[in-house]
Amino acid sequence: MNGLIKLELTRALRNRKFLFFSVIYPSVLFLLVAGSADSTTKVDGTGLTLPTYMMVSMASFGALTAVLMGNSERIAKERESGWVRQLRLTPLPGRGYVLAKTASAAVVSLPSIVVVFAVAAAVKDVRLDAWQWLALTGAIWAGSLVFAALGVALGYLASGDAVRPITMITYFGLSILGGLWMPTTTFPAWLQDIAKWVPTRAYAALGQAIEQNQVPHAQDLAVLAVFFALFTGGAAWLYRKDTLKA
Amino acid sequence: MTTTPPVVEFDQVSKGFGDVRAVDGLSLALHPGETVALLGPNGAGKSTTLDLLLGLKYADSGTVRVFGTSPREAIVAGRVGAMLQSGGLMDEVTVAELVGLACELHPRPYRPADVLARAGVTQIADRKVDKLSGGQAQRVRFALATAGDSDLIVLDEPTTGMDVTTRRAFWATMREQADQGRTVLFATHYLEEADAIADRVLVLHRGRLLADGTAAEIKAKAGARRISFDLDGEIDEPALRTLPFLTTLTVSNSGSAAGSGPTVRIQSADADATVHAVYALGLYPRNLEVAGLGLEQAFVTLTAAEEARTS
Repeated sequence: MNGLIKLELTRALRNRKFLFFSVIYPSVLFLLVAGSADSTTKVDGTGLTLPTYMMVSMASFGALTAVLMGNSERIAKERESGWVRQLRLTPLPGRGYVLAKTASAAVVSLPSIVVVFAVAAAVKDVRLDAWQWLALTGAIWAGSLVFAALGVALGYLASGDAVRPITMITYFGLSILGGLWMPTTTFPAWLQDIAKWVPTRAYAALGQAIEQNQVPHAQDLAVLAVFFALFTGGAAWLYRKDTLKA
Repeated sequence: MTTTPPVVEFDQVSKGFGDVRAVDGLSLALHPGETVALLGPNGAGKSTTLDLLLGLKYADSGTVRVFGTSPREAIVAGRVGAMLQSGGLMDEVTVAELVGLACELHPRPYRPADVLARAGVTQIADRKVDKLSGGQAQRVRFALATAGDSDLIVLDEPTTGMDVTTRRAFWATMREQADQGRTVLFATHYLEEADAIADRVLVLHRGRLLADGTAAEIKAKAGARRISFDLDGEIDEPALRTLPFLTTLTVSNSGSAAGSGPTVRIQSADADATVHAVYALGLYPRNLEVAGLGLEQAFVTLTAAEEARTS
């Protein structure tokens, strides 16, 4: 089990393209969005400056990329190649494969969060208390598990050529609707109503509440909990179905 | 008094996919130390049988026991090493890393360096798994199947994609495994491999066991002696067809030695009796030859006869 996590990690760290997209790309995007904003512009109704607000959005986006993009495609591909079958001929427990995938994604998502924070602090002078930095890292990191479960579910749902477009649509849909690329406050009212129930918005709202020195909203926590249950339930069901079929 | 359970035991096992019964009421038992070949034409149910044995598929009815437990329990206990054709490999890692993982997962592992050496992949240990040729990938699969001290080794078409030299080396390694008291079960379509290596041959046909015995017994069952001779003058085919133990008869006018008559070719289950009867018919066969049938011909004869019987 540990051996598999180690090997999955080695492999993820060797994959430059994946590392670029999950670790560097969110910071680049952060600089594009927040780069020209001065440090006094406030995002409507939040009391946070644009760089502070977008820092959490982009850290969440980076973590989302790391846990969603890597796993869904890999799992679909490895189901097809028969590696999943081969693993079933070893004493590794069935869920060991999924756990190893999730664990290695979590390891990659941590630097993508920290790099965005470092860039925001260094380039855009974002200043927070020490406890806030720690709480932010913890909340965004833990929250990414919701989407790790989604990545696993997609990997078992789709196969072959279908998995990439499905993952992409889900990924961009969640990123945009969740306000990870631009604050949801800039959305028209009807879209804001929809966005309220999107898990990525609740995810970013966790971090923003910490920045505002507040306790995360109960509704956001509830939305995340429901989606987590939904995604893990779906992943478990699809995994079982796949096991019986293989 | 306790008796050791069979290594593998199928009891009235059936498995269907839609309308097709891939495995149909199959019962068999493998015993410790046997080297068993599983033969059958495409679609005979070989792969499904192996999948059931390894717990990758579940039987619709009947029971599959491995070392007296469920297949999964046997695998978790590290008693089974298996190499499947459909078993993929993790890509973007090196051969050594992958074999190292297999060793780590096995409850009674061997040293990775030894596993690599035995499978003949030490030379390519640092190569990425996705850069291997078909034959090399097969040897890596074999390394994964033999990463630890398992009691049963299951191989599905193990030598596919290997050249003749590698194939020979592979079977030498396999013999070592068997000589250490392991039970080896392999499916193959190279019948000469089954003939040379297996001490027991199972012939599957449409999900049922068509024959079970040593290669010699299977050949005998198929009418496994070939008799050929030339005759002068007219041939009385109906009379020849009455010969005892005859399974097939062909008469040809070409290919016989210059100046002689037609050539008669016969497959017989008991060559002595058949030849004796040829003389008893008052015939004078010339250039008489009696030869054993290869397992391949025996296999073709058996399955063709079954095809004819059931269709």
